[in-house]
Amino acid sequence: MKKLQKEKSIMLLLCTIVVLVTIIGIGVGAVFIHPKDILLSLAGVDIGPNGFIIQQYRLPRIIIALLAGSSLAISGAILQGIIRNPLASPDVIGITKGAGLAAAIVIILFPHAFILARPIAAFVGASIVAILLYLFAYKTGLRPTTLALVGIALGAICHAGIQFLLVKFPVDVNAALIWLTGSLWGKGWEDVWLLLPLVLILIPLTVALALKLDILNLGDDVAEGLGEPVGITRMVLLFLAVALAGSSVAIVGSLGFIGLIAPHMARQLVGNKHRLLLPTSALVGMLIVLVADGLGRGVMPPVEIPAGIFTAVIGAPYFLFLLKRLQTKS
Amino acid sequence: MQDQNANINDKRVQKRITVFFIGIILLIIGFFFSLSVGSSTIEFQTVLRSLFFNIETQDAKIIQDLRLPRAIIGAVVGANLAMAGAIMQAMTKNPLASPQVFGINAGASLMVVIGVVLMPHFSPSFLVAFAFIGAALGGAVVYYLASSGGMTPVKLALAGITVHLFLSSITEGLIIFHEHTTEDILFWLAGAVDGTVWRDVNMIYPWSLIGIVMGLLLSRQLTLLGFGDELATGLGQKIALTRILSSVTVILLAGSSVAVAGPIGFVGLIIPHIARKLVGFDYRLVIPASAIFGAVLLVNSDVLSRFISFPSESPVGIVTALIGGPFFLYIARKGGKG
Repeated sequence: MKKLQKEKSIMLLLCTIVVLVTIIGIGVGAVFIHPKDILLSLAGVDIGPNGFIIQQYRLPRIIIALLAGSSLAISGAILQGIIRNPLASPDVIGITKGAGLAAAIVIILFPHAFILARPIAAFVGASIVAILLYLFAYKTGLRPTTLALVGIALGAICHAGIQFLLVKFPVDVNAALIWLTGSLWGKGWEDVWLLLPLVLILIPLTVALALKLDILNLGDDVAEGLGEPVGITRMVLLFLAVALAGSSVAIVGSLGFIGLIAPHMARQLVGNKHRLLLPTSALVGMLIVLVADGLGRGVMPPVEIPAGIFTAVIGAPYFLFLLKRLQTKS
Repeated sequence: MQDQNANINDKRVQKRITVFFIGIILLIIGFFFSLSVGSSTIEFQTVLRSLFFNIETQDAKIIQDLRLPRAIIGAVVGANLAMAGAIMQAMTKNPLASPQVFGINAGASLMVVIGVVLMPHFSPSFLVAFAFIGAALGGAVVYYLASSGGMTPVKLALAGITVHLFLSSITEGLIIFHEHTTEDILFWLAGAVDGTVWRDVNMIYPWSLIGIVMGLLLSRQLTLLGFGDELATGLGQKIALTRILSSVTVILLAGSSVAVAGPIGFVGLIIPHIARKLVGFDYRLVIPASAIFGAVLLVNSDVLSRFISFPSESPVGIVTALIGGPFFLYIARKGGKG
């Protein structure tokens, strides 16, 4: 029992850090705003023009960062649980690429389509990849190996499609590239209202299913022996992971490495039990996106660096460290 | 009894000779199409005449200055990549090993983009050096990551794709901040042989020549590696030396290809599989067969790429991905065992 106490305090600490970084993050950018003003503005006090910047630009963007970070991280945690490979994540197994291809089609071929078209397309793209993934891997009972390899193959095909579009229609290449790298630039309240309901439905559902992941982790034979319909459970979880990743890719583009590293960091903090792991992953994911976006805005204002570059720069070294550790263990 | 064996052997030899013969014929046909087809179609007769005589018509100029170097680059790069893939698959005994999956292409691309963006005044031959460094780094990292506790196909693929994602997001970032070079680099990043000129041929051929000769010389040792390290050592092989020389060969072959034509995918993955189907598991045959069929695939893909959005050009890497992606799926469905 004492051990659980420690994990609870870790999660509480993480929550506090997320709140602090959120408040500081709102202040960073082309116009720097003092944290005191931010708190006042959030409390409803009128603080002049800066209040407008906070309410209309920074706040929705920060909320998107929180939502996207948590859903990508949880999606990664689920996939690592299902595929039972520490390297699995939505970007690695092609789901992000599928969403990226569909969104690139909309951005480049139908630049005047209504605003909702891009997220819907990305969501559809992610789902198509997931369905294909499922169909191709079905025969082997969704064996982790096949899932991973088929996902990578599908990702490669989608990537070729994206490259073709980029080369063929170089009109809006930069917008597409920024989006493909993943960026929170220009996100507003309408994006929040799009993403928030999805996340509010999906994340509680996933956490409720966390126990199933722990059972799957015991191995297929044991899980079946415990009366768990392994194939179906895996399918449901896979669907949730896709839905989470797809909806956030739809808004922020393919922000890489969060789904890969956030669950690992969380695992170091609270261990392997998914009931604790999923919420902690979400917190870590939020933190990474907040920091990456804050750096992107703050490093050389007014120029913005896409957050995706920072997530890669933060993510990769950690990832290498992680693999080295895994190696010495095995 | 012996007669029968000799008979079977004869048939096998005959089949292999036929395979190589067909490969070369296909390559020649592809070559001619490559010279003749395009935004302006040139008749075969004219193609032949402008190849062997010194004539000054516009068509002859197109062939001599544009299409011939392009076709040669296509053949050389195809041969390089396929051979690199065959060597890697032999070395790692892993069906998914290839310059692309191993992060070699991505590493080389990143270094070349760094070279172009940060030091635009460097001569192109410096880019080859950059590509070698990148190829070596990318390959080394993936190898290091994937080889712990036995390199399974999944481990290799996941480690490779992760490194690939990391390297390419940095590459993309660099491109975003250098808008003026965007379009050319994007085309090259998808893997393209169009727009190559004789200078590129001069740049790549010494490296490929060394690489291809080394690959052929190493082929016997690579076959023995396939029997397992212990047996190979027992047969008097210096395994470590073979591995090092093979790695150097792969870096020369793949690095020089990326420097000239960008990261063209899937050639190095699928051709060795096809070659093994055709000529068996002896790498003394698989390696040359891979080179020939790699050239065939790339030259013909290049011809096809001209039709994707005729009359403008599309990168050949897209064609190889469209052919190779489904093939990768096929290997993946077998759980990477094939």
